[in-house]
Amino acid sequence: MSDLIFSQNYFEIFSLDVSTNPDLALLNENNRALQRLAHPDKFANSSEAEKRLAMQKTSLINQAFNTLKDPALRLQYMLSLKGIDMNAETDTTMDGAFLMDQMELREKISEVRSQSDPLDELETISKDLKSSSANLIIEFDKHYQADELDTGREVIRKLQFINKAQREVSELTEQLEDELL
Amino acid sequence: MALLQISEPGQSTKPHEHKFAIGIDLGTTNSLVATVRSGLADTLADVNGQHLLPSVVQYTANSVLVGQAAKEHQVADSQNTISSIKRLMGRGISDLRILGDNLPYAFSTSDSSVPRIKTAAGDKTAIEISADILKVLKQRGEQTLGDKLEGAVITVPAYFDDAQRQATKDAAKLAGLKVLRLLNEPTAAAVAYGLDSGAEGIVAVYDLGGGTFDVSIMQLRQGVFEVLSTGGDSALGGDDFDHAIAEWVIAQAGLNANDLSAGTLRLILQEACAAKENLTEHNQSEITIKFDESQTWFGTLTRDIFQQLIDPMIKKTLMSCRRALRDAEIEKHQVMDVVMVGGSTRTLRVRELVGEFFDTQPRVDIDPDRVVAIGAAIQANALAGNDPEGNLLLMDVLPLSLGIETMGGLAEKIIQRNTPIPVSKAQDFTTYKDAQTAMAVHIVQGERELIDDCRSLARFELRGFPPHVAGSARIRVTFQVDADGLLSVTAREENSGVEASVEVKPSYGLQDSEIESMLKASMEYAAEDKDARSLREQQVEADRVIEAIDAAMADDGSVMLSEDEKALIIEARGKLQAARHQATDSQELKSVMANLEKVSAAYVAKRMNASVQKTMAGHKVEEFNND
Repeated sequence: MSDLIFSQNYFEIFSLDVSTNPDLALLNENNRALQRLAHPDKFANSSEAEKRLAMQKTSLINQAFNTLKDPALRLQYMLSLKGIDMNAETDTTMDGAFLMDQMELREKISEVRSQSDPLDELETISKDLKSSSANLIIEFDKHYQADELDTGREVIRKLQFINKAQREVSELTEQLEDELL
Repeated sequence: MALLQISEPGQSTKPHEHKFAIGIDLGTTNSLVATVRSGLADTLADVNGQHLLPSVVQYTANSVLVGQAAKEHQVADSQNTISSIKRLMGRGISDLRILGDNLPYAFSTSDSSVPRIKTAAGDKTAIEISADILKVLKQRGEQTLGDKLEGAVITVPAYFDDAQRQATKDAAKLAGLKVLRLLNEPTAAAVAYGLDSGAEGIVAVYDLGGGTFDVSIMQLRQGVFEVLSTGGDSALGGDDFDHAIAEWVIAQAGLNANDLSAGTLRLILQEACAAKENLTEHNQSEITIKFDESQTWFGTLTRDIFQQLIDPMIKKTLMSCRRALRDAEIEKHQVMDVVMVGGSTRTLRVRELVGEFFDTQPRVDIDPDRVVAIGAAIQANALAGNDPEGNLLLMDVLPLSLGIETMGGLAEKIIQRNTPIPVSKAQDFTTYKDAQTAMAVHIVQGERELIDDCRSLARFELRGFPPHVAGSARIRVTFQVDADGLLSVTAREENSGVEASVEVKPSYGLQDSEIESMLKASMEYAAEDKDARSLREQQVEADRVIEAIDAAMADDGSVMLSEDEKALIIEARGKLQAARHQATDSQELKSVMANLEKVSAAYVAKRMNASVQKTMAGHKVEEFNND
């Protein structure tokens, strides 16, 4: 496999178009195909330099795969392709209504234990979060197409909030299930 | 002597190039070695036909016993007979407090971070003890294959952290083994199972060994084994079932564990283990323990009591299963097969609860003891270059998140658990004081927020970058995890391009210098090993010589030799035949062989000439000169 992948963007590595909604089945399939060529195990009898190169290539493929698989990381990466750094300090503030929603949601999660069926409640919250997340991806796509990148960045911030809440819901679900087991 | 074997041009006597590599399952309770021969993977037996090598080592002042022979001394010589050493691999002194209750050994107090067990042969680390087990397996491989080994794939629990993996690799180095790869045990099992059954789809491997538990969720497709997630507990296994029974026995007998000798504790544990195994076939086990001449205890362990004792532990494994499914984003109903691996899955209650959890009949048709070693052998065979089509590919993940210590004793994750490996991640650091030229980085592994709850892997000192104003230096630290799941770190100051030196102080491992000195010490042993090896080589050579002489004599002995010459050669051949079986050192055998060579030298020369004449018959000498 050529060294070209070091100069390709993550989408190009997997022969995908830059998109908020890439074909994940194809991503998986192409990942396996690339690993077959680049994985260090295929270079077990090669020189140290070739082994190192194989490790670097596979590390890059894995990094790219992980980024494209996860929606928030994927969108963030799409912004970085346009020169926008998510981590840079900005003076924009979060939209107030969204923050209010988030606070309410957090309260709901923290009180879930006192519900009659906390696991059921958590599942409902998780479903809501999933649909919010899907809507945000569509919203981002709209701004990205229109080259409204700063707005796009705000959408990703929201998505990160949602993801964090989703992780908390998972962890709490796990905890409750463990207690019941 | 090689001259006697004259082969026709173009007919090489060299066998086809197959490189031999072995797969080793270095287990808590038992270890195995396997290899691929004529396309078939199988475990190798010792001279007594035993495949399982108990992972037990007995040290005396002048010998090292490994396996069944050592196991027999467990009760009588419990202090010097070490078992379940895998539990201490990559562990520190501070971990002993957690594991310590169950360990009947004396530990030497030293300033090293690595625990050392006091034995009759001196202080031994877990790495050295494991190396002694590996040496026996390596020898078994060499003796069976009669060939030089290309290297070995050694399996480790998927949930082993960096320190435990590094310790395993160090043990292999000490045993003189070239490690082709560290392979996760569930992945190895999936390879053996998947290639055998031709299964495609999502598979869960539930691996409960003597001292470790692993679960891996995997996608099998066209020879690619892709691990989606892994979970487990590197300190939970069937040993804990034995301990639970032993504690129950001690309580029932109205005794206190602290009053019992190490030998008695070992005896109770052995009885507990036997009772556990008996319950697979029977509804209850009778236990008899003779504490001393005057005191004997009888009791009955029913399946009900046993279940009460072990259910909490099995449930713990199921929590890991659930987390692994969640991490893989896989629902239970998507799991096509649950493959049971590890001797402890013979316990019926384990099968029952796992079946309930996944709502499917777990696969128990594969040999849970041997499947891991067989998978390792298949991978070793491929890595040695015997898989020209290259269909097999194993894609594994990092089992535990890697992070660094930040302000306030918090861990910041740098690489998340279940990230496919190999993987690298760069992180930028800056200085907080003017003219600061060094910086310390503390690396940890684990899922918890607080540094103290994670496992400390190493402390790094970055030095030698140019002094800057506080906050203006940019030190890029790159964390690289290789295909074995092992971490290495490089650092560089980005503004000046200065490569900062990284000094690694492993928290629970051995320093490179310690490994070196152990290697040196083992050279003395190696001298003994070498003797045995060269004797074996001479024996093989002797067989070849005898065979060649016999063939030559049958061919033209009566034509070319006088009766006297023939008698001399036959006598020398007879002596070699005897020495082949009786000689105890290689020099002795060599001199007998040299005698035969001397006696038959003239005969060899005659045969050579005859052969050359035969080849040249009908040709002119010039034809050969032009070559």
